[in-house]
Formats: sequence, C-alpha cells, structure tokens
Amino acid sequence: MKSEGKTSRRVAIVAAGVVSPLGFGLTETLQSLRQARDCVTPVTAFSVEKTRCKTAAQIDDGRLLDQANRSRQSRRLHRASYMVMTALAELLERSRKFEPEIAIVGTTSGGMSFGENFYRSLGNGGARSAALIANYPPQKQIVDAMEKFGINAPAQVIANACASGTNAIGHAFNAIRTGRCHRILAGGYDALSELVFVGFDSLQAATPEKCRPFDSNRSGMVLGEGAALLALEEFESARSHGAEILGEITGYGISTDNHHLTQPNPDGSGPRRAMEQALAQAQLEPNQVGYINAHGTATVLNDTAEGKAIAELFGDVPVSSTKSMMGHSLGAAGAIEAVVSLLALQHQFLPPNINFREAELSLNIVANEARDAQFDCAISNSFGFGGTNATIVLRRFAR
Amino acid sequence: MSLSIAGMSWVTPLGSNVNDVWQRLVAGEAASIEILENEQNGARYLVRRVPATTMAHLPPHARLRRASAISRFAAAAGLAALAEAKTPPSLDRIALVFAISNGGVIYTRRFYAEIVKSGAQSASPLLFPETVFNAPASHLTAILEISGASYTVVGDGAVGILALKLADDLLASEDVDTCLVVAAEEIDSLVCEAYRQWRFLRDPKKPETGRGMIMSEGAGAVLLKRSNDGIEIDQIVPGANFFRRSEASARLGSVVSRLKNGIGFCVGSGNGTFIDRAERAAVGDEMPVYSPKIALGESVGASVFWQLITAAKALEAGTLPGSSKPPVDSRAVVLACGLNQQTGGLTLRRRVCPAFQGST
Repeated sequence: MKSEGKTSRRVAIVAAGVVSPLGFGLTETLQSLRQARDCVTPVTAFSVEKTRCKTAAQIDDGRLLDQANRSRQSRRLHRASYMVMTALAELLERSRKFEPEIAIVGTTSGGMSFGENFYRSLGNGGARSAALIANYPPQKQIVDAMEKFGINAPAQVIANACASGTNAIGHAFNAIRTGRCHRILAGGYDALSELVFVGFDSLQAATPEKCRPFDSNRSGMVLGEGAALLALEEFESARSHGAEILGEITGYGISTDNHHLTQPNPDGSGPRRAMEQALAQAQLEPNQVGYINAHGTATVLNDTAEGKAIAELFGDVPVSSTKSMMGHSLGAAGAIEAVVSLLALQHQFLPPNINFREAELSLNIVANEARDAQFDCAISNSFGFGGTNATIVLRRFAR
Repeated sequence: MSLSIAGMSWVTPLGSNVNDVWQRLVAGEAASIEILENEQNGARYLVRRVPATTMAHLPPHARLRRASAISRFAAAAGLAALAEAKTPPSLDRIALVFAISNGGVIYTRRFYAEIVKSGAQSASPLLFPETVFNAPASHLTAILEISGASYTVVGDGAVGILALKLADDLLASEDVDTCLVVAAEEIDSLVCEAYRQWRFLRDPKKPETGRGMIMSEGAGAVLLKRSNDGIEIDQIVPGANFFRRSEASARLGSVVSRLKNGIGFCVGSGNGTFIDRAERAAVGDEMPVYSPKIALGESVGASVFWQLITAAKALEAGTLPGSSKPPVDSRAVVLACGLNQQTGGLTLRRRVCPAFQGST
C-alpha cells in the first residue's frame, strides 16, 4: 500500500462551478457579492405556518430545472441532483478535459425531501414510490451528475454536518498533497428540506428576523441551499498541460470539539485548533492572511466561539460571513464559501457581511458593503454539529 | 509500509464476541429471524436483530443516555476494537472514520412523524440532533476523547470500502498514526418499507427461499495502523458506479482486475438480490465465495466490516465457512456491491513471519 510520508505537492484549483441563491455560476455570484445582495425570501417549498422562522435563501426552481434535460429518467431526480449538475456543467465548461480519479463531496441530507414525500405517502396509503427511494440517498446526487457528464469515478461522500463541504475539499487537498491522487472533483451540495428547516427552528437556532452574523443583536441563522464544485489537480501536472490555474489550496485543518452534540465550546478552542493547523500546513503567519470567510451562522453560540478564536489568533484581519446574504446551505456551505473566497482572491475584494449594525467582538467586520483590497491568502471556516471544525487556506495564483 | 489491523470487533445478530460469532458462522449457524410490522401500513418484514443481551456490557456514558441503537452499537464495537490493540493508541494522533448508510433512522422517523402528525411546533429539539448523519461519530469521539480528525462517510452497502479508503489516505499523512474505522446501522420499519417497495426484501411468507434480502443491524470496527504485522489490508479499490443493474458485474469485474493476483477466496456482499449474480460473474465460477449476509442479514453500511472481519478470521483459521479449505498463504478479496450504484473491493493477507516461511 502506497505511503507517501512527507512528500508534499502543490494543489491547484483548475476550474470551479457554483449555484446558490447568489446566482448561477461564478459571474453572477461575483456580481451578487459585490452588490451585497440579500437573497433571503419567504419559504415557498413547504408550509412555515407553525415555525418561528419563515424565510430562507432559495434557488429558483424554474431556472434550476431548465438546466437539466427533461427525459423521463431525469424528471425523477431530486432538485439537489440538478444543483450538482449545474455546478458540474460550469466546471466542465471551464476545464473540458478534467477527468477526476475520485469525487470527494460533502452533504448533510442529499435528497431529503424525497424521504419526506415517501413517509407521507405511507400515511396516505399512496402508491409505490420506488423512484423516491432510489433518488433519496445522499450519494445519489453526485452520482447522477457524474453520469450525465460521462464521469466514471467513485464518489466518497462526507457527511460531517455543516463542515462537510470544507472537509471534502480539505481531504481532497491532502490526498493530492501527499501524492495519493492527481485530480479530484471536490465540493458539496444540499437542498432545502422541511425536516431540516423545522429541526433548526425547533432548536431556536433559526431566526424570525434578519440574519446578522457577528452583530451584537444577532438572533440566529437563515437556511440556504446550493452546490459548488472545484476541480483540484496536482500543480505541476496542471501546469504541464496548460490548465488555467485559478488559485491554490495550501492548508487544511480539522478538529473535533467534544463539548456538546450541537454547541461549540464557548472558549473557541475547537475552531482555533482547526485554524492553527491550516495555517501551519500553509506555512503562514496569521498576519499574512488578508481575508477570513467565517462560518458565521449568526447564532449566539457559534459567533461567540468563532469570533473569540479569530480575534485571538488574527487580530484585525478582515472577516465576513457571506451567509448573511445567501443563508446557511449546510453541506454545501463550505464548498460555496471556498468559491466565494476564490473569487475574492481573484478579483481582490472583500465580500460583505450584510445586516451588520453593532459590533460585539473586536473583529474587523467587512460591514454591509464589499471593499477592494490587496491580499494573497484567505481562509474559509466551517463548523458543524458533532463538534466538527474545518478550515482551508486558499492562495491567489499570480501568473 | 502496509496497513495492518491492530484490533477488530463487531456487534451482530449472532453476538459480539469475534471468535464466538466466527465459530458459529463456521458451524453454519444463522441469526434468528423475527417479524417486524409497520404501524403505518401494516406491512411485515423479516429482520435479524441484535439481541438485547449483546449490549448489556456497554459502559454507561452521558452521551449515550438519549442516543439511538445505532450509536450504542457503534460505541460497543469501537471500544472493543480499541481494547484489542497491544499498545493503546495516542489520543493526539488517532482519527475516527465512520461509515453509514441509513443512519439514525429511528429518531429521524420519530422526529418527522411529529411534524406530520401535530405540526412543526411539536418537533422535538432533543431528537433533531440525533437525526444528523454524524451524530453516532460525535458520540464516539466524545466517549473516546478523540479531538483530531473525525469523518463520517455516507453511501450504500459499499460505503465501508470508501471509508477504509479515507482512513488509508489519512494514515498516509504525517498527522495520524492510528485510525479507528467504525460502521453501524439500526433497523427501522421505514427503511424496511423502502427496500420492500424497491423489491429487494425477502417475502415474509417464504422465509426459506434465498431470494430477497433480510434486513439486520449492528456494527463493525477495525483499528488500523501502518505496520507489517498480522492481518494486513494491502489494497483498497473504490469502484466506479453502475448506472443500471446490468452494469454491476462489469464494475465489480473492473475492481477485481485491479486487485493483485493470488486471491484464494472472496468474502462477498451477496444478499439474495441481483448482487449475488453480479459478484459471481465478476470473480468467476472457480473462486470460493462466502457472504456473511446469509447468516447475519443485510446491515448495509456496516456490512463491509462484517465481511472484512470474516475474511480476516478465514485467513487466520485457513477455513472459509461453507467452503473447502482455502490456501492459507493466499490473499482474500472483500468485494462490495451496494444496492444504489456503488462498488468496491479490497485485498487482505496474513503476513507470515519470514523464519516460519523459510522452514516450510
């Protein structure tokens, strides 16, 4: 069995694709970030009559389903499959010859709403629902997308709650860095579902108001949805065949906080360990980081723990939570935010943290408007239920 | 350096002691079959359950007070695999990888049932966190005080191969010395109904037929480290996905062709469905094949670990249940085909001490 010891290879991002409430594709996403667009709207997919929170950041179905061909088979697929297909189509448009050895992706609930429909159909004495069952499992959506584009690679699906997307990219980075793989399709996806929406509402983690990460009057998160994929390739290999290099992943940190199943240790030690590991692997000092895309859910507990860790480790490095604009897309969040960080590096700006009014912690929040900035490195944080903490470091690629 | 198994354990419907269950498999025993009824639609399913007595020795822990069966099975298997290690692993340099397919479905069904029956305002904030795929892994890291890497990998019946591949990749880095890989599942009527509607389950009126699978539950765990010692996993091959069932044998055949030669026997994932024929076609008619699912049932996410432990015991004992004696110096292949498109395989071998090898 291959063991690469201390071998360390550079890891290039050679293509990316994204769909989220911020837009379809990198160009629309960039525009929304620059315009500080608030994508949160009333929930339409299911009844929110009896929940406290009544809003989410949603992807327009009409436009989403137009992306897929309307064969009988594809009509049965979950909308999360269409999200992954949309992201993969954009990625392959930019890197037509990308042939991954494996897909490493994150999700928390796959085709959950099909599971809900299946359960309801049993209570209604409904007809057989084999198509719902076959298209519900969490690996199905990435497999569907790969089938559509003729990619025949295994799918390793990581379900580390809200850190899943960052864990998937981080693990893919490590697999290339240590020489275990050369090309990996990495990212994450999740679609809004009633079960998950009500779950966060029951915990009173979701807000009936605006989502205000790091604000002293923050009252909780707003859910979102989407998919994002990165084509990761060993740097020298990418350069040798003339691939366009959009940026690099240079560090990854992962830690587990055993304080509580759903609550972080308020001392911020879990997030801090993940960030320190990622910096060490990237061989960076904290003051060399120019932007932090925070997990920033706007819950009281997350932002306190994460804010404390960031303030202690990074001082006044600019921070924003883009969840304020696009909601929290759970397993997709880390992947979408990696794309957001990549766009920030490429276009030299700081994405905003909207709905921000009053500071509580001593953080340099990119409040309400995007800012131009010059920087070479960014980090992106994702933390989740079960105490999973993940951080990746991205570096600008200067030709 | 190879990947060696420093400890292994399982929780099965036939018990949880590795040697005892192995002896019962060799003797041709199968776990008893019960009937589970679905309260929603009255459907009945054949199931093989883990006996309550099997879990009696699980030490109490605050995290397990409210946890579902899946987390208890995982804790029992994980703790037992760790206890087998000759040298206790350093908590700073151990990672946990967890494989799962259906996950905490009992609490998920209960949580959603309340929403449907009484409305969203009745949903329990205590149940919701247990519905998350990585809840069992979280309980296990808390019990074992693991504060480093923890990954939950989801997929179909082949997910165990993908989890072992992830563990192998983690052990290739300089950050991790030991990796505990655990898988677990629990039985619930909702999952049984899903497989029934998918036409994969055995007809409860004809339990004696080999056609269709019988759902089961439990866990498996292996403690992996880099060394050349004892039973080794020398290759892990996650396979490509099949998009139609007719493609399954070709995908499995591709996995087998990528594994090293010298394979003496196969511990497969045959469960009474299309998988049986696909696996046989992939390995050929001559290869001895045994599936522990015949005796233990289909535990989906946990099944690869039951296969792995069965293969390891077969290599140790030089005996494959239901087959003539395989060559002791050969490799074993563990082949996995899930019901929902995933495939994979690995090879195991028993390292024989060079001095001993020379004397034979």
